[in-house]
Amino acid sequence: MSEADSPPQDDAPTAPPQGWQPLPPRARRLFVLGNAFGLGLLALGLLIPIGLLLRDTLLALPLALAVLVLLPGWGVWLAYRQYANTRWRLDSDGYALRRGRLWQQETFVPRSRVQHLDIQRGPIERRFDLATLVIHTAGTRHNAVSTAGLAADDAERLRDQLARWIETDDDA
Amino acid sequence: MTTPEAPPSAAAAEERRLHPWSWLFVLLGSLRQFLIPLLVLVVFGGRREDGVQLVAAGVAVAILALVSVWRYFTYRYRIDGDSLFIRSGVLERSLRQVPFSRIHNVELRQTLLHRLFGVAEVKLESAGGTKPEAQMRVLKLDDALALERLIRHRGPGADTAAEVDAPDAGEPLLALSTGEIVRLGLISNRGMIVVGAAFALAWQVLPDNAFRQVFDYVRREAFGYAAQLNGGWASTALALAGLVLLALVLLRAFSVLLALLRYHGFELREHGRRLTVERGLLARVRSSVSRRRIQAWTLRESLLHRLFRRRSLGIDTAGSHGGDGEQQRRDPPELAPIATPEACDALLRHLLDGVDWPPADWRPLHRHAWLRLLLGDVVFAALLAAGLGWYFGPWGLLGLLWLPWGWLLATRHARFAGYHVDATLVAVREGWWSRRWRFAEIDKLQALSLQQSPLDRRFGMASLWLDTAGATPMSVPLRVRYLPEDEARALAATLGAEVARRKLRW
Repeated sequence: MSEADSPPQDDAPTAPPQGWQPLPPRARRLFVLGNAFGLGLLALGLLIPIGLLLRDTLLALPLALAVLVLLPGWGVWLAYRQYANTRWRLDSDGYALRRGRLWQQETFVPRSRVQHLDIQRGPIERRFDLATLVIHTAGTRHNAVSTAGLAADDAERLRDQLARWIETDDDA
Repeated sequence: MTTPEAPPSAAAAEERRLHPWSWLFVLLGSLRQFLIPLLVLVVFGGRREDGVQLVAAGVAVAILALVSVWRYFTYRYRIDGDSLFIRSGVLERSLRQVPFSRIHNVELRQTLLHRLFGVAEVKLESAGGTKPEAQMRVLKLDDALALERLIRHRGPGADTAAEVDAPDAGEPLLALSTGEIVRLGLISNRGMIVVGAAFALAWQVLPDNAFRQVFDYVRREAFGYAAQLNGGWASTALALAGLVLLALVLLRAFSVLLALLRYHGFELREHGRRLTVERGLLARVRSSVSRRRIQAWTLRESLLHRLFRRRSLGIDTAGSHGGDGEQQRRDPPELAPIATPEACDALLRHLLDGVDWPPADWRPLHRHAWLRLLLGDVVFAALLAAGLGWYFGPWGLLGLLWLPWGWLLATRHARFAGYHVDATLVAVREGWWSRRWRFAEIDKLQALSLQQSPLDRRFGMASLWLDTAGATPMSVPLRVRYLPEDEARALAATLGAEVARRKLRW
């Protein structure tokens, strides 16, 4: 975690420090699709109270349209930001994942604490040749650190590397 | 850990059954879930023709009894080498191998009925999972104790030969007298749970208006008595104060009663590297955990604790929490439910060998941490004032009086809070009004997480969350909040590297 001492300014995500890896550009589509779908559903759900409460007012139609456009739009914008601010890093100490910009969270799984690994691939991820890597530890709050939108071969390389660590640590 | 095929040397040890009466306890255990509805049905539901329902209930009980007996005949266990083998299953047969080295907690439970029959229920827990690794309901007390002793000797805590020869009684570390337990009851709020449960039950069970009638009656009596005395405003206030006082006294009395039931004869003993806690008045519980299985420690001191000059020390173990619902653990295991601060410190020094507890150098938080803490209070005071203003008009502004209190809390908290890291231990202390110390050995840390909210960034702060195994959602998280950002990052880096270097030993 030596690079973590001098964190990069998040306003300039173009130049990640050595070791911090961005997700592949095609993962952006995954983020966009996921957010647009999720918030689109929310917008559809919001149509119900709007229809029930404001049915006879002039407000109803503009509000409904605004919700239908703005929420998914915000989701897409958020997806771009989420994509741009997600970085992962593997070094000799362990695996680190950094997420978010406003609410930044940097999770570090020491190599000796990896319990088991999962690779999950949904239909959309398979379509874009992406994968989700889930690292399980024995802890409670961060017992599963999951990285969505990794390139499939990256995910497999990571899994193999981490699995090798589990083996060597068990033998030691 | 369930393997279909038989292990080698299967014939080496004899197979044993549970206690012949065990089916009765299994039956009672499964009946207990139906007991209250059944009672309610019989006692309060007698308005209609309920013969059919009662017959159905009787048939259900008979079937359950049959299953329990069958289960008794199909459940066998065998101790072979360093493992316990359990063959069980009514329709689906399974053979379960539980290596002693995987067992984190052993719990022996004896309710009043168990004691009458001279039997005990044994629960073996390994790390993770929601269900105990093995739950043997029930064994003869001698067999149960022998099994516990065996696990103690063959388990991971017993690497040294000396321990096998160690006297079985163990070294007493802490025992609570009745006076202490009464103090514990006065400090704890357990009575609240009973009162709450009683309220809920009364609401469910009693006919519609009975509850209100009782309440009205009490109110009329109390207020009427006060009105007789004097009449007027002052006496009403007096009556109200009397009622509140009565409720408080009742609550404390309940708490004391519950504490006595739960902690009577509490004893903490040390058998080599294994700790055993024994407690309970009617139902005796004896749980034992290896010293190195302890994942994290919590020391608490509430205001009431401080009044009595006491603290309480609890631990996290990586056993199963909750899960099967029937006898889930409601509280984390406690090493010292109540003890003087000196006794707690001495106990910790003894158990955390080589650590000088309490640490001398606590490092402070960010110097503006109090401001960050105060912001929450400002928001709360604003909401409070707004809410009160909604109901009471301008008087609602009195809600802003929360601010000076919040300021006091925030500054005191920030002054008291701090963290300590040395070669073996990470410790965090927080709070002021009610204080807690939370600590874990570095060996026991799992993932690390550095978090920063937009507000934190404005202040140049960050918080470091340290994950450990076996923490319950209710327990205090092990985290250092509101550190200077670069300090937090440096701490995360050094701790991360340190944890990566050490093998997980649990």
